[in-house]
Amino acid sequence: MSKSPDRDGDDRWVDQMLDDLARAPVPDLPDTLMARILADADAMLPPPGGRAARTPWWQQILEGVGGWTAVTGLVAAAATGFVVGLGALDGVGVTVPWMQVDDTYYDTDDATYAFGWDMEEG
Amino acid sequence: MPLDTDPQTDDADLLVRYAQGDASAARLLTLRLTPRAFGQAARMLGDTAEAEDVAQEAMMRLWRVAPDWRLGEAKVTTWLYRVVSNLCTDRLRKRSRGTVRLEDVAEPTDPTPSVETQMQDTARHSALRAALASLPERQSIAVVMRHFEGASNPEIAQALDISTEAVESLTARGKRALAAALKGQAAALGYEEG
Repeated sequence: MSKSPDRDGDDRWVDQMLDDLARAPVPDLPDTLMARILADADAMLPPPGGRAARTPWWQQILEGVGGWTAVTGLVAAAATGFVVGLGALDGVGVTVPWMQVDDTYYDTDDATYAFGWDMEEG
Repeated sequence: MPLDTDPQTDDADLLVRYAQGDASAARLLTLRLTPRAFGQAARMLGDTAEAEDVAQEAMMRLWRVAPDWRLGEAKVTTWLYRVVSNLCTDRLRKRSRGTVRLEDVAEPTDPTPSVETQMQDTARHSALRAALASLPERQSIAVVMRHFEGASNPEIAQALDISTEAVESLTARGKRALAAALKGQAAALGYEEG
């Protein structure tokens, strides 16, 4: 959406106002404030070994199996196992639909003639 | 003021340690976060005593939320920024929303650099703070983070949990709303309205 000249003017004026406030000096941190905040922290301090911060369930599982590296290894191993398992089906006489291949006859002789490589003629 | 003795440790990790009863983690977090919270509140409110109260209240909420903190979901500084921003907005909304006039502003006690300049600055800042408080929360945070903290679009996007592309639009809408809220006061505050 394009901006009208008036809109640009409004933005510049507001930008200047915001920048003026951003440049305004901030008072020094009062010494007593840190002391008050630390007193609050001490008063609310959980007991040693208290309840740990909650970790999302997916992160707990991830950490439980050893992190992303371990998950990558697991996925690779699972994929390999799946492929090997498919191959083993043929050995025990089980036929699965996706392994059935039509026997197709290809007449290679005709193909050779078709390219005109019969040098015996003429 | 004591120094941060463990600058490598992440704020969230310190919060976890605090939740497990480590008092030294609270000291480090207080050292790191209080100046930010107080500075933000002071700029938004323009009142030292109120800024102290807001910073203390925000930090108390942090101690309270520590055992329930969900690692990896938000940065501690981002969380604190929003809390301070909301606390300041609540206080600003309780103040008078009337138009700020130069004659309504109390005369500063310090006469330097000039009384008139200080009064005008105070009037400008008061008007802007009131206008910021009237914005929807997300617009206000986006504008304040951009202009007061110099935050980048990705930082604002993370704080508000929106896409980076949406930040630009949000900030623009916030500034348009500010312009509308301050319309008519520009000349009195010494600005040339576009």
